[in-house]
Amino acid sequence: MNAQDRVTINKLPTGVPGLDEIVGGGLPEFSFNIIAGAPGSGKTTLAHQFVFANATPERPALYFTVLGESAIKMLRYQQQYTFFDPAKLPDSIRFINLSQVVLEKDLGAVLEEITKEVEKANPAVVVVDSFRTMVRKPQSDMDLQSFIQRLALFLASWQATTFLIGEYAEDELRDNPIFTVADGLFWLRQTTERNSIVRKLQIIKLRGQASVPGLHTFRITDAGVQAFSRTFGLVGHLKDPPSHRRLSFGIPELDKMLGGGVREGDSVLVAGSSGTGKSVLATQFIAEGISQGEPGIVAVFEERPQAYAERATSLGLDLDTPQKDGKLAILYLRPLDLSVDETMHSILDAVQKIGAKRLVIDSLAGFEMALSPGFRADFRESLYRMIFALTGIGVTILSTVEVDESFTEFPFSTYSISFLTDDIIRLRYVSIDGQLRKIMVVIKMRGGNHAKDIREYEITSKGVVILGKRLTEYQGLISGVPVHSDRSGSKEDHSQDTGIEYDT
Amino acid sequence: MVTSPKMRDLARYLLSYEGMSAKSSESMESVTLRVYEKLRHSLSAFAGIAAFESLAFRALTQAKSEAPSLWAVQIAADGSLQGLGEFESQIDVDKDLAGEYPAGEGGTILIDRLLGLLLVFLGEALTLSLLRLAWPEAALDDCNSENGRKA
Repeated sequence: MNAQDRVTINKLPTGVPGLDEIVGGGLPEFSFNIIAGAPGSGKTTLAHQFVFANATPERPALYFTVLGESAIKMLRYQQQYTFFDPAKLPDSIRFINLSQVVLEKDLGAVLEEITKEVEKANPAVVVVDSFRTMVRKPQSDMDLQSFIQRLALFLASWQATTFLIGEYAEDELRDNPIFTVADGLFWLRQTTERNSIVRKLQIIKLRGQASVPGLHTFRITDAGVQAFSRTFGLVGHLKDPPSHRRLSFGIPELDKMLGGGVREGDSVLVAGSSGTGKSVLATQFIAEGISQGEPGIVAVFEERPQAYAERATSLGLDLDTPQKDGKLAILYLRPLDLSVDETMHSILDAVQKIGAKRLVIDSLAGFEMALSPGFRADFRESLYRMIFALTGIGVTILSTVEVDESFTEFPFSTYSISFLTDDIIRLRYVSIDGQLRKIMVVIKMRGGNHAKDIREYEITSKGVVILGKRLTEYQGLISGVPVHSDRSGSKEDHSQDTGIEYDT
Repeated sequence: MVTSPKMRDLARYLLSYEGMSAKSSESMESVTLRVYEKLRHSLSAFAGIAAFESLAFRALTQAKSEAPSLWAVQIAADGSLQGLGEFESQIDVDKDLAGEYPAGEGGTILIDRLLGLLLVFLGEALTLSLLRLAWPEAALDDCNSENGRKA
């Protein structure tokens, strides 16, 4: 069968930010869906969002309530959400209570009542909330399977997209007939991780189109349910062809060490212990980008945006003006219980809003702390997805990471994430001539050339300033306690030595 | 409990609206019952009989404290009103419409209390939406609207 011979299944907006992408572009029209999950997991809110997004006076939504939460209380709470438009009631959305029929009669009567209302209203959307309470009662003439089958057939014939909402346990997935009949199965989970609540959504089944597999985090805010796809909403976004452009730090000596600058689209890790100037370097990177016409984002976790901007001012870098001009966004992502996906959503929003080319994450340790404990366990995997997604759309990322200063080791990161980064710049303290001085070395530049020099630097009122030539007079600099190699009297001229070698 | 003048106005309006289609000899009890029954039908379909019965019982309890004439009124299990009007006088539709002789005070208070509860739980916008189901032809626009019912 040719593609043009196949029936086109319209995709309806779910009304839930982020969910359309997860379900493959929208919910299949006329599908028969189950929203399952424990009480309080957001089932009703999700259904309301779908209803409000799709109901019209011509093709209204019928919302059948059964036992459980009264419609009055339900609407009392639901109207607090920003998606709730009271003007849609009663012409576009009608609530009908079936509790009396359920209590006094059998499922046949329930089906009859639903049929009667559907025939009368010709709805585009039908919701039964909670379907579970309807079928808990011992059945009489019509068994459950037959009821579900007939309900699904009837509603599909009437061209209604249907949601049945129910509290189901995951072990019911195997032998509950409703899951066999359903075209779509949305499972909402809410788990406690130490002191945090983590909400996750899974599309267990969706006929007719490919959904994004796996567990997607979601949050319930004033705006209702908001889902965060594991693909970060970047499905279909193709990476621009590599530009081979080098991005400057605004520190000429460092740019030289980097073989001309950071390659556009790279992920750079700046690692060092406290006070070595990681954030200063990151700020200079962003400020230089802005001066070159490349908007930037700074995601901060350990200080507030104003403090970050003030510190930049003390270095002679103006971050206030580009913020006002829409060329810089400083995101404060401190709230606990974040998922990487939520963080990514905030960052991507900002990236798209200002067309950011550079992103600073300051710092990975703060980022990790802002995550719910459950997400921290997957931090490395999450970072991989995040970096891959962002660099995939051409954003150059600079992340800072604090490493414990050791005089026996030279660690790059506490996260074992160096494989995730294209370039690593290591900052560290060294004890020289009775002073605690700072050195910098480019450890790695994936696919590019860089200097192997160990350079001393200072943090001045102008930011990071690299001093003199490479430190040739000392051995064991990376240990932090170098030994003078007694070459101070050497007349060797290093002025022509660029120190650049190709990475192997 | 004192409800808002808006709800009292709305209650009076609904009673007047129903009174307009009433025969001049029709009792005020009958008009009140007509309004109440429309509310019962609409709200029971929306929220269930039990939910309506609970609301109605609460509204009646509140109304009784203000209108002794309601002392014999009961709410049945299906939410219907029983015993209304035993002490109510006949309605004079013409006078009522002229605002000189409001519909039976007990009935007004009861409807007022019922609408007041809806207002508390659902807010004005949703309450008016629900009333539109029962009175699709009535001008139930925002009570404050100059273009609405009071205009």
